[in-house]
Amino acid sequence: MSGRAFRALLRKDLVLEVRGREVVPAMAVFVLAAFVLFRFGLGGETLAGGTRSAVGVLWISTVFTAMLGLLRGFAAEREDRLWDGLLAAPVDRAVIWAARTVSLLVFQVVVQVLALPVFWVLFLQQGRTPSYGILVLALLLADLGMAALGSLVAGLASTARAREVLAPVLFLPFAIPLVIVAVSLTTGTIPPQTTGSHTVTRLGFLGLYDTVFALLGWALFEYVVEE
Amino acid sequence: MSCSEAVACRRLVRRFGERAALDGVDLAVAPGETLLLTGPNGAGKTTLLRVLATVLRPSAGDVAVAGHDLPRDARRARAAVGYAGHDPLVYPGLRARENLELYAALYGVDDAAVGPALARVGLADRAGDLAGDLSRGMLQRLALARATLHGPEILLLDEPTAALDAEGREVLDELLGEAGRSTVIATHEPERFSGRGWRRVELRAGRVAA
Repeated sequence: MSGRAFRALLRKDLVLEVRGREVVPAMAVFVLAAFVLFRFGLGGETLAGGTRSAVGVLWISTVFTAMLGLLRGFAAEREDRLWDGLLAAPVDRAVIWAARTVSLLVFQVVVQVLALPVFWVLFLQQGRTPSYGILVLALLLADLGMAALGSLVAGLASTARAREVLAPVLFLPFAIPLVIVAVSLTTGTIPPQTTGSHTVTRLGFLGLYDTVFALLGWALFEYVVEE
Repeated sequence: MSCSEAVACRRLVRRFGERAALDGVDLAVAPGETLLLTGPNGAGKTTLLRVLATVLRPSAGDVAVAGHDLPRDARRARAAVGYAGHDPLVYPGLRARENLELYAALYGVDDAAVGPALARVGLADRAGDLAGDLSRGMLQRLALARATLHGPEILLLDEPTAALDAEGREVLDELLGEAGRSTVIATHEPERFSGRGWRRVELRAGRVAA
């Protein structure tokens, strides 16, 4: 029953987003605006010449965009007071968390597909592009970790009064190690700073990060949503 | 506290911070019995139903639903309970049919049950409408279809007559007339159910009034 429940909950999130267009367009506009602001606000030449700064812009924007998505996590359940319907159902609450994690992951991936070409144009010079394969892998691993953490935080914040304040305060500190490693990993794949030997270790860290927050989300979600 | 009662509460307490919404409730509902739960606003009726629906954890005391102790066996109790709260608990952005299909998946009920459930509450011709486009009375009927989709042995209804139209009242009467199911109805309108011989319990300030 859990597999069917998971698919039904995921489908519900995706259908509501396709019909309501509340989360993905907002995330896309946010990340594109952030790129443009960084490009022109902080001096385009400096950023384009400094690979690490450009990569930092990518990852910081990614984290804040994910935060925007998690703030809308469980919005329908909160605003239309639907939590009772989900909580009264005989389904493991971790399944609710898992479905929300995957839907957040899908939203983030869709936004990045739109945003990455813009990032390329604005920040990277010819001949100084990161390894596409590693960057995509790093983004997917980071997205998964942020979605797992974000769903847990969204569940916790959904029942709190000051949720708009609580969610970032809980989410951002845990995103710091992810940004540090992701920036280092991505920078290391851009010539001439290629540091292939560390790539596997850093990807491994992102995998470990995902595993830790997946386990925490699975184990704790029941307690964060129960009153 | 496993027992043969459909619902059994002993010294049930539920606190919200310092305030006790339920303050030592003793209550039993026999299998097949319908109980009317009355009392003024803030008496604890909704809180009691939410505890029985396993949405809220009891702060103290013993509770068993369908013979399953709460909160330990909450998941098994949930399968036996149908809960219709103050709100219809359906997604406005999903169609009526999609809402019931979602709950069918959550309760492990075949999708084939959705059509008959909608027909039973007179919404077969509105199955493709977004729930957000339905009238309040239709939403209430959809909520009744949702709460009874899995054929629960215990039905918990919070103010079920609110906003119900004439057709909805017929649907509700039909549901309440089905034999073998235990039902707890929190209501401000006990006279609406008069003449049926149902037991009535009044809550006051989180306690069963003497």
